Amino acid sequence: MNWQYIAINAVTLACMYGTLAIGLSLTWSSVGLVNMAYGFTFALSGYGAWLAAEYVSENAFVVIGAGVLVGALGGLLVCALAFIPIHDKPNFALRGMIATLAISLVGNQALLWYFGPRAKTLPRLFGTSSVDMFGIRITADKLGASASAIVLLTLVLLWMRSSRRGLEIRAMMMNPHAASIVGIGVRQTGLFVMALTGGLAGLASVLLAQTYYVAPFSGITPMIKGLSIALVGGLGSVTGAVIGAMLLGVNEALTASLLGGQYVLITQFLLIIVILLVRPRGIAGILDKAREA
Amino acid sequence: MSNTWIDPLSGFEPEKASPAQPTADYVSPQTTWQETKRFKPKMYLVGRLRWYIKWPGHGARLWHRTRYWPTRRRVLNIEGEYNPKTSRREKTILDRRPIYWMLCIIAMVLVPLLAPEDMRNTVLTAAAVFGIYGAINLCWMLIVGTAGIFSLASYAVVGAAAYGSTFIAIQFGLPWWLLPPIGCLFGLAFGVLIALPAVRLDGFYYALLSLGVVELGRVYVIQSKELGSATGGLYGAPSYIPDAFTQDGQLVLGYYASLALMLGALFFYRFINGKRLGRVLRMAPEKREAFAQACGVDFLRARVTVFLVSSTVLGFIGGFYATHFGGASPNLFSFDTLLLSLAMLVIGGIGRAEGAIAGTAIVVFIDRVLVDWGPMRYVLIGTIMLLVVLLLRGGLFGIKQQFRAWRNKKKSEHRAFRAEKGGEMLPEEATETVDKDQIFARRFDKMQRDFLKRIVTPEVIAEHQRRPLGQHSEALERLLIYFRRQGQVDKYAILVAKEFESYKIVGLSGHRGTAPRLVEDRAYPSISEAYHALFLRRIQDLLES
Repeated sequence: MNWQYIAINAVTLACMYGTLAIGLSLTWSSVGLVNMAYGFTFALSGYGAWLAAEYVSENAFVVIGAGVLVGALGGLLVCALAFIPIHDKPNFALRGMIATLAISLVGNQALLWYFGPRAKTLPRLFGTSSVDMFGIRITADKLGASASAIVLLTLVLLWMRSSRRGLEIRAMMMNPHAASIVGIGVRQTGLFVMALTGGLAGLASVLLAQTYYVAPFSGITPMIKGLSIALVGGLGSVTGAVIGAMLLGVNEALTASLLGGQYVLITQFLLIIVILLVRPRGIAGILDKAREA
Repeated sequence: MSNTWIDPLSGFEPEKASPAQPTADYVSPQTTWQETKRFKPKMYLVGRLRWYIKWPGHGARLWHRTRYWPTRRRVLNIEGEYNPKTSRREKTILDRRPIYWMLCIIAMVLVPLLAPEDMRNTVLTAAAVFGIYGAINLCWMLIVGTAGIFSLASYAVVGAAAYGSTFIAIQFGLPWWLLPPIGCLFGLAFGVLIALPAVRLDGFYYALLSLGVVELGRVYVIQSKELGSATGGLYGAPSYIPDAFTQDGQLVLGYYASLALMLGALFFYRFINGKRLGRVLRMAPEKREAFAQACGVDFLRARVTVFLVSSTVLGFIGGFYATHFGGASPNLFSFDTLLLSLAMLVIGGIGRAEGAIAGTAIVVFIDRVLVDWGPMRYVLIGTIMLLVVLLLRGGLFGIKQQFRAWRNKKKSEHRAFRAEKGGEMLPEEATETVDKDQIFARRFDKMQRDFLKRIVTPEVIAEHQRRPLGQHSEALERLLIYFRRQGQVDKYAILVAKEFESYKIVGLSGHRGTAPRLVEDRAYPSISEAYHALFLRRIQDLLES
C-alpha cells in the first residue's frame, strides 16, 4: 500500500474531473442549461487537438491551444443551437437539456462518420521524463496535466472574480432575471459562458488524452463523471465542485488500489447517492435555493 | 381635386359671371364609418372556428348510449342536438381519438400481410422491436409524464429485469412463461432501489442521478463474469417461440406477441393515467406541489406508487424481452439506447400515450429499417429531435394545441390593432361615467370629425372667404353645420365693437352672467372678414383635435 501514490493519483483525477465539473456547474448556474452536449464538445476538441498535432505542430502550446479553441467553438455551437432559440420559451430547462442531448447524438455520430471508429492518440506533450517528489516517481504527463489544469483553472477563476465580464457572469448566476433588468445581455453572456466552459472541456480533453485516447464516444463517460461531481458538489458552486472532485478523486484512487479497478464506478455512485440522500442539493448547495430558470 | 359647384340660386342673378365655383371632391359621409368597421385582419385558410363533421340523426334510438362493461364509459363521446335551421336531429362526435386508435391498431395487426416481400424479415423484426420498445416507452411515459419524475433509468430497469430473469432461468432451468413474473420481482426491487432518492431529489438532480445509475449498471454488466462479460451479453433464456415453426412463422408469432404486450401496456397506461392516480397527479404538477398538499393531496405517495407500479411492469417487459431475444445485452444500458428512447418520447410529445407510440414508430423505423444509411440515420433522428424540441412545445401531438394558441394570439393582436383610439372614453372613464350615452356620442363625434377633416381643402376655405353667408357647396355646408351644432361653452362669436368699422372675435363662457372673453386683440373692419377669421379658427381647432 503506497499512500503517496494514491494521493498523487487522486490529485490528478481531481484536476481532470474538477475542470469538467466546474464547466458544467458554471453552465447550469449562469445560463440554466444542463449541458448534455459536453461529451460532444470534449470529443470534438480532442479531434481538433489531434488535427493540430498532425498537420501543424506537436508543440504543447499549439496542441493545447487548438483543443481549447475548438472546445470554445463547440460551446458556441451548442449555445447557438440549444440556448439562444429557446432560452425565453416555456419549459426551457427540460427542452434545453433534450436539445443538448440531440446535439450530442448528432455530433457524436457525425464524428464517427467523419473520423471513423479508430481511436487516435495525441503526442506526449510533457515529455516522457519523470520526477522524484515526496519519495515517489511521478511521470511527467501526470505532473504536467495536473499543473496545467490547476494553472488554467486558477486563471479562469481569477478572471471571473476580477473582470467586468466575470462580474456579469456572476450576476447571472445569482439572479438571471435581475441581471437582465440591470442591463446584462442574457444571450451575450450566454455566448461567453458557453465559450468559456467549452474551452474548459477542450483543456480537459487534451489533458485526459495524455493517459487515454481520442475517440468519437470518448466524451460520454467523463461527462457523466463530471455531471455527478457537479451534482455532488452542488450545481452552481465552484467550491462545491472542487470539494466533490477531491472527494471522488480520493475515492477512485482508493478503490482502484484497495478493491480493484472494476469497482470504481460502483463505489463512486454509491458515494454519490449517499451524499445526495443526506444533502439533496449537494455539498455546497442550499436546499431551498434551486435555480428557478 | 377641383370639382365645381353651381350655386342653385345663381339663376336669380344671371348678370353675375361664372356661376360654377371650385370646391372639394365629393366624399361619402359614410367613408370613415366604413373604414373603421372594415374587417382588416388577415384571414387564413384554416378558418377561425373549430369544425366538426355533422352526422345524420339517429331516429328512434334518440337517447340510446352504448356503454361497455365493466365501466360506464361510452364507446364514443357523441353529442346529439337539433339543428335550429333545418330542425333536423344531428350528432357530433366530440372526441374522434378512439376511432383513430382503432384504425391504427387494425393497421398494426395487418402489418405481416402488408410488409413488402423483399424486406419482410427486416420489417417484421423491426415491428417486433417496435412493440417491445413501445411498451417500455408507455411505462416510461407514466413515470415522466404522469408521475413527473424525470427518470432516465427506465431502460436500466428493463435491462436489470432481463439480466436477472435470464440468469435465474439458466441457473434453475425454468420454462419461458416464468420469466416475466420473475422479471416483475426484479423490476420491483430495482424500482424500490432507485425510488429512494426520488423522495428527496427532484427535477434535474434526479435525472442526472439516474443517468449515473444507468452508467453504473452498464459498467457492472460489462465487467461481471456471471453476466457474460465475455460473450457480450447473457444468452440462453428459454424462448416462447416453438422451434417447429418456419422462420416466417416465428417472426410473425414474435411480432404478434410484442403487439399484444404493447396493447397490454396501453391498457395499463390508461388504467393508471385515466383513473384516480392520474387525476391526483394532474392536480400536483411541478412547482404547484405546495398547493396540492394544502388541498390534502398526498402527491409524493402517488408519485412513488406510480413509479413502483411502472417499474414492476417494466420488469415484466424485461422478462418478456429476455424470452423474446433469448437473453439480455448490455446495449440496454448504453447511452445511445437512452438517447434514442428519449428521442422517441420527445418526438411524439411527453405526457401522451399516442406520442409514445408514434415516436417509437418513427425512431424504430429509421433505426431498424433504413439500416443502409449507416451512422447517418442517427444524425437524422438527432436532427428530428432537435427540430421538435426547438420548434414544438409538446412534440408532434402538441402541434394542434400550439397552433390554436398561436392563432388565438394572432386574433387578439388583430383585435387590439382594430380598436381605434382617440376621442373615445378610456375604459375606466367609461365605467365611471353615469351617462352611458356619452360613450357612444363621443365615439360618433370622433368619427364625424375624422370625416370632416378630409373635406377641409383650400377650395372650401376660398369659397368661404368669397361668401361667408348664403348658399354653400355641400362640403362647406357640412363643416358649417357641424360648427354651428357645437355647445355654447367656448363657442366663438363676433362682438360688434363699432358698427361697420370694428368687429372682434370672442369666446362665449356658456354660463349665464359670465361675460364672454376676448380671444384675440385684432379688430376686423368688416363683418365678412370677421366671419372668415372665425371660420379659420374653427377649422384650426378641428384639424388639431
